[in-house]
Amino acid sequence: MDPEVLEEEGPQRRSALIPSVAAIVAIVGLADSIYLTVHHFTSEPVPCSLVEGCEMVLNSQWAEIAGIPLAAFGAAAYFTAFSLAVLTAFGDSRMWKLFGAQVTLMAGFSLWLVYVQAFLIKAFCQFCLLSAVTSMLLFVLFVISVFVGRSKSRTSA
Amino acid sequence: MPKEIKSKKAEPKSNMPLLIIGAVLIGAIIGGIWYFSSQRSAPATANTNTSTANTATTPRPTNTISPNAPAGATPPNMTGSQAATVTLEEFADFQCGSCAAANPILSEVKSLYGSRIKFIFRNYPLSIPAHDKAYEAAVAAEAAGLQGKFWDMQNLLFVNQQGWTAAPSYKQMWKGYAERIGIDVAKWEADMMGIAAKGRVDADLARGKAIGVNSTPSLYINGMLVPFSEMAVPKLKAIIDAELAKTSASPAANTAAAPAGNTAGNTNAAK
Repeated sequence: MDPEVLEEEGPQRRSALIPSVAAIVAIVGLADSIYLTVHHFTSEPVPCSLVEGCEMVLNSQWAEIAGIPLAAFGAAAYFTAFSLAVLTAFGDSRMWKLFGAQVTLMAGFSLWLVYVQAFLIKAFCQFCLLSAVTSMLLFVLFVISVFVGRSKSRTSA
Repeated sequence: MPKEIKSKKAEPKSNMPLLIIGAVLIGAIIGGIWYFSSQRSAPATANTNTSTANTATTPRPTNTISPNAPAGATPPNMTGSQAATVTLEEFADFQCGSCAAANPILSEVKSLYGSRIKFIFRNYPLSIPAHDKAYEAAVAAEAAGLQGKFWDMQNLLFVNQQGWTAAPSYKQMWKGYAERIGIDVAKWEADMMGIAAKGRVDADLARGKAIGVNSTPSLYINGMLVPFSEMAVPKLKAIIDAELAKTSASPAANTAAAPAGNTAGNTNAAK
């Protein structure tokens, strides 16, 4: 038994769990964003079965920035978050800090978009809400990892 | 020795994340392109069995027009025959891109069926910031309608939607359309300020709200909501033909020689 290898592999395995879960969540967000981006370009209405007013949200002034659908920015953000989570899961812990910064911005932006839907457009789009949930979930996973990291360092101390 | 073990363990992992990231990127691009092309071809394909198509075509709870719904602007903006047994009623917004996209499709349907159908256009300007000129545009079309040129103005507003929708001088552009269709521009401008045109828009809006219209365009064929995914000439033809076949099967409703007083095309008729 080599103690150096044990020390290297042990924490790596444990810390890979949260980034792996985050990567899966980011894929859900990525698929959702791609779905909305495609619908933006095809002008096909999205199914609006859970809430009402999907088209009002997706045709609103907040649905695009400089002619680019917001969902496309979302897809890029989720792909970046996925990449950072995967790199972290494979041992590059510096990427997790970048991931944390990114998902904090994403969660904040998502909260603002929920506010826009609730109070400015006064209509909801279920796929936009799903995106808000996934970005919040990514943020929560990051927060959990911070606490897990702290308790670990306390235990080892 | 330990360093050797470590490098052996680390080496196969070094390319794995990039492989996974690359695979997901390629998957996302291919998936997006595939979904885009399937959405594009969906309206032309009958009975598409993809999950999204099914969800999109599932009738919503508000898919029929209640007989108690307000009548809307009277008389409505109508083409075709009053006596037709098949009624198409569209609720549209002049700043809605999908409505502009549906306009040539519905024009083709109108020319295909002529007097065998009754087509009614209802104004349904959405109250959202992105559609800040939609209500005014509806009033502009109705004001042109007071001079018998509603359809010409309606068509110009849709055809040129991209041009005027973001233009600060949109009213000047509309004035140009009014001149182009040969109406009395001064009267048209006065009518835009008056209550007659606004009253018609408000009446249509009230009808749409009572029915439960929550997106545009919303098309009802004989009172049944047609999902937007069906907004293609072949699909609409299939629905209209089925409706015509139903009525022609009944000896009382011969579409070829419908009596002038036939009220089977009542827009309130719920199926």
